[in-house]
Amino acid sequence: MKLMKFAAAAATSILLSTSIAAADDKPVVGLIMKSLANEFFQNMLAGAEAHAEKRGDYELRAVGMQNETDFESQINAVENFITQGVDAIVVAPADSKAMVRPLKRAMEAGIVVINFDVALDEGAKEQQGVELAFVGPDNRGGAKLAGDALGTALGEGAKVVIIEGNPGADNATQRRLGFEDAVAEHKLNLLDSRTAHWETEEANQVFATMLTANPDIQGVMAANDSMAIGVVKALESAGRSDIKVVGFDAIPAVLPMIEDGRLLASVDQFGQEMAANSIDLALDVLAGGPQLEGWVKTPIELVAGK
Amino acid sequence: MSAVDTTPQSPEKTRMSIRSVINNAGIGIALLLMILFFSVASEHFLSANNITNILTQITINLVLAVGMTFVILIGGIDLSVGSVMAFAAVVAGKAITLPGLGATELIILAVLAGVLAGMVCGILNGVVSAYWSLPSFIITLGMLNIARGAALQISGAQTIYSFPFAFEEFGSMLIYGVPVVFLVALALVVIAWFVLNRTVFGRLIYGIGNNEEAVRLAGHPVFWYKVAAFSICGLTAGIAAIIYMARLNISSPIAGIGFELNAIAAVIIGGTSLSGGRGSVIGTLLGAFIIGVLANGLILIGLSDFVRQMITGLVIVIAVILDHYRAKYSAS
Amino acid sequence: MTASPLLSVSALRKSFGGIHALDGVSFELEPGEVHALVGENGAGKSTLIKVLSGVHMFDAGDITLDGASYRPASPHAAKLAGIQVVHQEFNLLNDLSVAENISIEAMPKTRLGLLDRAEMNRRARAALDAIGLSDVDVTTPVRQLGIAHRQLIEIARALQSESRILILDEPTATLTERETERLFEIVAGIKAKGVTVVFVSHHLEEVFGICDRVTVFRNGETITTQHITDVTPADVVRFMVGRTLEEAQHGSTEMHPGAGTALSVDGLRTTANPTGTPVSFELRRGEILGIAGLVGAGRTEVLRAIFGADAKLGGTVYLEGQPVQINGPRDAIAAGIGFVTEDRKEEGLILDMPISANSSLVDLGAVSRRGLLNFGKEREMAARGGARLKLKYGKLSDPAASLSGGNQQKVVLAKWLAKTPKVLLLDEPTRGVDVGAKAEIYGILRDLVAQGMSMIVVSSELPELITLCDRIMVMAGQEIQGTLARPDYSQERILHLAYGQTQTEERIPA
Repeated sequence: MKLMKFAAAAATSILLSTSIAAADDKPVVGLIMKSLANEFFQNMLAGAEAHAEKRGDYELRAVGMQNETDFESQINAVENFITQGVDAIVVAPADSKAMVRPLKRAMEAGIVVINFDVALDEGAKEQQGVELAFVGPDNRGGAKLAGDALGTALGEGAKVVIIEGNPGADNATQRRLGFEDAVAEHKLNLLDSRTAHWETEEANQVFATMLTANPDIQGVMAANDSMAIGVVKALESAGRSDIKVVGFDAIPAVLPMIEDGRLLASVDQFGQEMAANSIDLALDVLAGGPQLEGWVKTPIELVAGK
Repeated sequence: MSAVDTTPQSPEKTRMSIRSVINNAGIGIALLLMILFFSVASEHFLSANNITNILTQITINLVLAVGMTFVILIGGIDLSVGSVMAFAAVVAGKAITLPGLGATELIILAVLAGVLAGMVCGILNGVVSAYWSLPSFIITLGMLNIARGAALQISGAQTIYSFPFAFEEFGSMLIYGVPVVFLVALALVVIAWFVLNRTVFGRLIYGIGNNEEAVRLAGHPVFWYKVAAFSICGLTAGIAAIIYMARLNISSPIAGIGFELNAIAAVIIGGTSLSGGRGSVIGTLLGAFIIGVLANGLILIGLSDFVRQMITGLVIVIAVILDHYRAKYSAS
Repeated sequence: MTASPLLSVSALRKSFGGIHALDGVSFELEPGEVHALVGENGAGKSTLIKVLSGVHMFDAGDITLDGASYRPASPHAAKLAGIQVVHQEFNLLNDLSVAENISIEAMPKTRLGLLDRAEMNRRARAALDAIGLSDVDVTTPVRQLGIAHRQLIEIARALQSESRILILDEPTATLTERETERLFEIVAGIKAKGVTVVFVSHHLEEVFGICDRVTVFRNGETITTQHITDVTPADVVRFMVGRTLEEAQHGSTEMHPGAGTALSVDGLRTTANPTGTPVSFELRRGEILGIAGLVGAGRTEVLRAIFGADAKLGGTVYLEGQPVQINGPRDAIAAGIGFVTEDRKEEGLILDMPISANSSLVDLGAVSRRGLLNFGKEREMAARGGARLKLKYGKLSDPAASLSGGNQQKVVLAKWLAKTPKVLLLDEPTRGVDVGAKAEIYGILRDLVAQGMSMIVVSSELPELITLCDRIMVMAGQEIQGTLARPDYSQERILHLAYGQTQTEERIPA
């Protein structure tokens, strides 16, 4: 049996880490994340691994994807985990609709499923007759926090633009909606909203051109920090220190920028702890605790300079 | 169109060369029309600032496309340049953030490390595809993943930042409104043009793309020429990485995703044939300008991202159709 | 022959951007005749065929087919009208079976719309039997067949639909004499069924062998149509070139090979010949040694192995008595060997590149310094080579593709002569070259030999070898079957050796 488990695990080419054959009485938790090329998930993985070592009472199997849009490999990972008979699956879905059906199968196989980071689509859940709680940050709320910071700093009627993530990605959509919430609340004037595919160089180019078209821009909301860095560089090249920028994720590279004021604020969703917290919740349920319900929000925090 | 019944000496000759001039000028005319259109459509387009912006924006693509021109001329393709650029950027980023060295040493070290990292990837692409005569499409697709993985591994998927001030300054330096990094790219174009048109090496690059066996039977080491073409492509990816770092003051392991497609598009729009042997680096320069002007101009006139993407795709398709007719004319 | 012609072409004109490819072409086809079209390359035969088969539209003139005006808008329309062409370059899909190739234009389907394999094979069998090709299995992939069989399959494919006119464009260019004979039997059979055959060839002996009438082209015009019984080959040549061709190629001035060995080969084993007797021979200084044999006899393999174009399994090459290590073309060239390959489009020329760049390809060192090209020197080299070989060209910067076949071959020669090799290997040096240029090339080769160069010539045209060579070595089945000296030359003897011991290996149609 153990050999078969091992073979199945080895067959998963995307398998990243298996702790050494744990005793059979320890519960096995399968962690499925999105692109490990993303710093955010890389930190999350590190956090989960540290957590597993610290607790020592469960076995962690973590799986990531090649890139943001590769949800096929997430579905495969769920199926492999079902085959391996894990006790719990903790998943950050790459696609909020496509993942519902395989996760339903996992629940039917008696596996405890925890959905974190990105919520599964409500409609899809209803259609499949799945009831599943969501553990995660409020991307929209977080983006609103950043947007609020910008709105407060600029005041009513200020002209702003949004740099979006990948069109169609759930977190990109949620963050854009959060920015738009802030725009509405602070009565900001949204001039333009464009994607830069989460990428620094592209954000730099796209924003530089937007700035040419609208030289009177006062504020920029970037859906992640990589793009915020590109925006900050474009402002430096244009010699514009009067324009305020907010980002998202609070990656280490932007902390000095927040320090010296080039970036007004970013948002930390404590990714490192998110996976670990979700695993804790899964283990609680496994230990006979109550089923989770609704949206279990994880902390988010605005990171801003003085 | 091989057994054509045409006599060798005829007025056809002059007509053919005129036609070829028109073909090459065609890209330039298309670019001029585009510039004319955007100048009318947007008051900002011809502003000094925007011209500086466009030059900055096409720089990295142009550098990658110069190397790509060599590979496509020998009938190959390099899908890995975006990833190789990220790999080189991460290697150079690691080098430039080493503790205990002076700024000058760090910059020299980083430039060497980045360019070398790019070249190593290029040499591997070339050696593997030329030695086993494997399609470079597949080999460089492999390298796309290898280099990206290596970049993520080395950096721990973290953005590397805080570079020496002098390095950052170089990235945003202007001479009469022209970005210095663009001048670097332009210098590469000039060097590439010289190499392709004035040297034995360049002659044989074209020769291999046209008829590899004829070049081999004439006693030339085709293998090494192919490796050299891929190495040049890796080298330019390394240079692009340094420019990326100097411009943005970070090096990110996820930099350059999809950049290979823009570089290939610049080469193809510039009239270099995907089957090799025909084309020029001047065309590539114009191709990079067309892509850059299009991206910039379409934002300025306020077109949505999605329409912008569609138009860019359309331009590539039109370029390939034009290339088809060029090939037809030159054959008959 | 009946009074009303099947097809009548009158005053046909066609130009390509100012070039008059057809400049007044008139001739008629009688039902059931074999009609030859001859003329030098560029005389307009190919263009005429393209017009008849619907590839090109004509500009002026008139074509009537069965009394009705005929102006095909596409190759498909031409086929519907019953005109089929078998091209010089094959249009077969090599990885598909014979049957699939024959049915490619109209695959039979079952009622469910699936491919009806049985019906397809049955049709193919019938098509092959119709031309007497009963020894070919219709399920064989085309790749496994020899070039002659591929040609016959093209003919079978062309004939399976109702054809009234079958055009064969240089069908014998790649065939050996035996295969050619076989083709002629089939042509006779087709003719007997009432199909009119148009036969395009450079080989007058073939024209006189099977054709009823001949139409001669020159510079886009038809010069004359004659009954074959009314003319001699010399007459036809005179019509073609518009002048009396000096019978240089049959004058065959006796060569006097000098003393000493230029090149010798000892125990050469090519990859095609891992187990048979290895090849050993000598080439004397100032000698032209011919290699005769059927297609696939191993002639090209020997040349390629000597030159290092392909790896060899064993054997030593000596140049002027000294063993030379040849691991690639580079070594061979350094040792003083040149190689004019069989296929100038695939292996010899860089067609898109200028004449000058092609001329300097082997000796780029002479026109460059430290890797930098000297264009002046290059043009000089090309002009010198061109003058030496009487190359007819517009400008040296024109692409090699713009030249006629004979002139292209001269560029290939010029490329090798630039390096003044001691030994020149030539594989089918006059393939696809017209009669006039052929004679010129023979003259050039003789001059070079007179100046001390030595040559090995592989050719499938026996008259060429007999005219040109001091000795002829005959190969079959990758082995040397014998060597003939000039006094012993005869086609019979050569053929005897060529077929000698390999009858079982060659798949010759019954």
